Amino acid sequence: MIHVDNLRKEFKKVNKEPGLKGSFKALFKPNYEIVTAVDGISFDVPKGEILGFIGPNGAGKSTVIKMLTGILTPTSGQCIINEQNPTQNRKKYVKEIGVVFGQRTQLWWDLPLRETYAVLKEIYEVEESEYKKRMEFLNEVLELDDFITSPVRTLSLGQRMRADIAASMLHNPKVLFLDEPTIGLDVVVKDNIRKAIEKINAEEQTTVILTTHDLADIELLSKRIVMIDKGNKVFDGKIADLKSKYGQMRELVFILENIKDLEKLEYKSHFKFKDDDLSVTNDGISVKVRFNNSVAPVADMLSYTLSKISVKDISVKDADIEEIIRRLYKQEVDLND
Amino acid sequence: MTKRLKIYTPFISAGIQETATYRVDLIFYLLGDVLACFVSYFIWKAVFISSESEFLHGFTMPQMIVYIFLMFLTSLLIYSDGTYNIGEEIRDGSIAMRMLKPVSYNATFLFQEIGNKLVTNVILIIPLVAGVEVVRTYVTGEIQFNILHFVLYLISCVMAYLINFFFNICFGFIAFIIKYLWGANMMKNCVVGFLSGAIIPLAFLPDTLEKVFLFLPFSSLNYTPVMIYMGMYNSSQTAFYLGLQLFWVLFFWGLSKLLWSGASKRLSVQGG
Ligand SMILES: Nc1ncnc2c1ncn2[C@@H]1O[C@H](COP(=O)(O)OP(=O)(O)OP(=O)(O)O)[C@@H](O)[C@H]1O
Ligand SMILES: [Mg+2]
Repeated sequence: MIHVDNLRKEFKKVNKEPGLKGSFKALFKPNYEIVTAVDGISFDVPKGEILGFIGPNGAGKSTVIKMLTGILTPTSGQCIINEQNPTQNRKKYVKEIGVVFGQRTQLWWDLPLRETYAVLKEIYEVEESEYKKRMEFLNEVLELDDFITSPVRTLSLGQRMRADIAASMLHNPKVLFLDEPTIGLDVVVKDNIRKAIEKINAEEQTTVILTTHDLADIELLSKRIVMIDKGNKVFDGKIADLKSKYGQMRELVFILENIKDLEKLEYKSHFKFKDDDLSVTNDGISVKVRFNNSVAPVADMLSYTLSKISVKDISVKDADIEEIIRRLYKQEVDLND
Repeated sequence: MTKRLKIYTPFISAGIQETATYRVDLIFYLLGDVLACFVSYFIWKAVFISSESEFLHGFTMPQMIVYIFLMFLTSLLIYSDGTYNIGEEIRDGSIAMRMLKPVSYNATFLFQEIGNKLVTNVILIIPLVAGVEVVRTYVTGEIQFNILHFVLYLISCVMAYLINFFFNICFGFIAFIIKYLWGANMMKNCVVGFLSGAIIPLAFLPDTLEKVFLFLPFSSLNYTPVMIYMGMYNSSQTAFYLGLQLFWVLFFWGLSKLLWSGASKRLSVQGG
């Protein structure tokens, strides 16, 4: 469905020296610098898959999405989506995709939401019966009724995002590109949006590419992730693989009867942890110990802890994806081994 | 064809609602123009009073007054701010949102602006034409209104608007490609004002200059419709200048397509 082959994007950036003098200089003798935002990325997405596209800030995610949706022309390389090249025959191409950029709306600022959808219906040539069915579905999942008569400019962030998501799904696109669709939303709205994505994917076999910084989005929606950093692909595979491969971190949480007992625990010297393998934090009541499971197995950690001190409550948490990603972003684990 | 037009009707209604939302802006904008019109009137009055003869380059003082008010009316009717809008959209990246819709980029702009203009022009045209005719009757001493001239004037205005629209779009794309919009836009407005006869009638210029200017696209903007309205052209001249207008419409329409394909490759939609 989506085929991305060695995609590159360079930006020409004008370096301006500070001050008025710098402005004059830039006018007559601009000093260009080439910034490589996307540096040869390839991947494939089969029909009906929800791909989580992640990476730290400035990694190049939005730039890739812009190229895939045809609003930026790649410097080199190509992408074929739905058997079409996005920059050729734009009108035909965009008719079969849906796009949401969480950062900005695609709706007409001054139109009431209901009219906006009526406009989109005409533009995308959606049949009346199909339109009714779709609106009903979107209304139900995203609860648009509360604000459907308000002009878009008066909507709150969460309302606007729901409106944008609905707009991107109205014409039943074959591919959905969602760039941070849950940015700045409360938990309930996030849930609604995830539900909408999940449902359209299940019912219509819609292929979805989703970028987000909320890893719960990814965990709940997609099985596969592509991670990029500094314009390069650093991981491409199942979340489960990522967990089993890099998820050696466990978290031990307990409540001490006497917080002074904490000094008795000498995990580091006892198990010979390296700096990255252990972190101990406490908020005065409960203590959180993050440790590397491959250095010290959970059973050993538990028995050592219980032998040294008396605790009120103790629990062990599995590696969570957030921890893995955090370590990956900080480049503490090597992805090439 | 009707189906294709139907796609764009929502943009007209979007444009109408937009104008309705910002109607106070519109009033202030109009007041500014009316003021400029009167300033121009007093300057020309002074010029005629200080001159010895009754005719200045074929214009009598009453005709000059009518010319000024007609120029004002015409400029209003054919006004287009495509350059500004395109510049803004490119700068803040919202142009991307238009590109994501399966519609022609230029056409969405055109129909949205037609929506805007529908409101302003329909509201304005009757009182303004009536006003111009009252002034005209008063200064010339007899009723001059000619329905044929008026209809031809409206046709000429539609074409003038289209030339203005596509010219501005082209200019916006060029300014984007050379990345220098603001100064260029200021300069454009001055030059166009002069070349289109909005500042002084082209007939006041030296003969060779006048001939050159009449062939440039800018005289097709304000000058042609005004001259038609005033009955300054005979029928063959009218046909010729309407034909010339049509030529320029097609020319800039084609050019805008060409420039858009160049500009779209260079877009660097920022943010996100
Ligand atoms: N128009 C542009 N001109 C110059 N540099 C740009 C432009 N757009 C993006 N960049 C640079 O390209 C890199 C990638 O940007 P991009 O917006 O794709 O990151 P991202 O992965 O979406 O980050 P985030 O998670 O913060 O949204 C950044 O270093 C950014 O500064
Ligand atoms: Mg981004």
